[in-house]
Amino acid sequence: MSGGINPTLHTAAVAALETALNRALQLAPGSAAELDKLSDCVFALHCTSPPLDVYLQPSADGIRLMGLYDGPVTTSVRGEAADFTELVTAADPTATLINGQLELQGDSAPLIELQQILATLDMDWEAPLVSTLGDVAGHQVAQMLRGAFAWGKQASGSLARQLDEFIHEEARLTPPRLELEDFYRDVQQLGLRVDRLQSRTDRLRQRLQKLRG
Amino acid sequence: MSEKDTTHFGYKEVDKDAKAGMVADVFHSVASRYDLMNDLMSGGIHRIWKRFTIELSGVRKGNSVLDIAGGTGDLAARFADIVGPEGRVVLADINDSMLQVGRDKLLDNGRQANLEFVQADAQYLPFPDDSFDCITIAFGLRNVTDKDTALRSMLRVLKPGGRLLILEFSKPENQLLSKAYDTYSFRVLPMMGRLVANDSDSYQYLAESIRMHPDQDTLKDMMEDAGFSRCEYHNMTGGVVALHKGVKA
Repeated sequence: MSGGINPTLHTAAVAALETALNRALQLAPGSAAELDKLSDCVFALHCTSPPLDVYLQPSADGIRLMGLYDGPVTTSVRGEAADFTELVTAADPTATLINGQLELQGDSAPLIELQQILATLDMDWEAPLVSTLGDVAGHQVAQMLRGAFAWGKQASGSLARQLDEFIHEEARLTPPRLELEDFYRDVQQLGLRVDRLQSRTDRLRQRLQKLRG
Repeated sequence: MSEKDTTHFGYKEVDKDAKAGMVADVFHSVASRYDLMNDLMSGGIHRIWKRFTIELSGVRKGNSVLDIAGGTGDLAARFADIVGPEGRVVLADINDSMLQVGRDKLLDNGRQANLEFVQADAQYLPFPDDSFDCITIAFGLRNVTDKDTALRSMLRVLKPGGRLLILEFSKPENQLLSKAYDTYSFRVLPMMGRLVANDSDSYQYLAESIRMHPDQDTLKDMMEDAGFSRCEYHNMTGGVVALHKGVKA
């Protein structure tokens, strides 16, 4: 736990977060089996701004959130809240972990697995609606919501695709991802070559000095 | 009566042998409405305090845990989930009414396999040496007649490296909070007890026993005197409650 934070407030915040998260997980019955596979893992999230430490322990019953944990941690991630948000919402968490500002210690594979379980939750909104409104009305409302969500998802996906195409291909405001990755790779190789050249010139300079001396 | 043979029961000075019986009467009286009163009196914050205790305990799968003065089993239930089928949780309470309420509650919730129920006095714990990875006592130590004897008994049954966690009411850090807390304890609590549990005396005792309980630093010293290492405490809700932790070296 972060030293400056009042244990009562910190514990209350973590408890509230855990309740909300597990309520969402209950609506996605498929997540239990997936989370159970990670039941031996503990993930430490150390947020530097705002200062907050949270430990996650998945199990078939949901995810246990803790403000303190003394035992061995599978994966530890340190960074700012914005970096964590980026990781949670990332389509490609591996790239986010490699290229982002997060500092990672331990095994990254279980963390990526957990991120994907959470990012691809298949919520069954019908169950709570049916138990509250009854079979017929609940099903009708769920159908409407499903339609609205599907349309919203399709519309936002299409908008994002078109915007992406416009920025990269038509307006040429930024280079496409693959081009950028190639450029980074070239820069990295150039950096390595410069390092090698530097050490070679250093070696030659030393030999020259020896010959003169 | 010599000074050594007496102890306090709230603000009253009573015979040492009589205290256990008097405390027992209090808990026989409140057992059936204990959970409801806890929620009402603390506004539900006792759940946060207990949650922090569980986090600080560091209890893991397969551990053995003793919850002394476990009452209605809030901590024991959570520990039973954490330690899993390979672990062991013992819910101990000196008071048979409280133990019965706790046992019924846990069994009704389907918790049984890794749980044991023992009626035991914290001063003379009926377990072999080095039995438990963790011992907790939440809101129970202030009712124990001889706290030093109880602490030594807990040290004996802890495994080396095991932790003792004492969650107990303590002294508020802030003067203003202390005054508000006094008013609440001596005016609101007994009234609440009269209205909900039809028993204002037990809640008057609760308020008095909290004031007579050693403060944070004194309890820490007592733990060190009993032989615990790495003793520390965490104040919660402005020191209204403190969680003490000690390790058996």
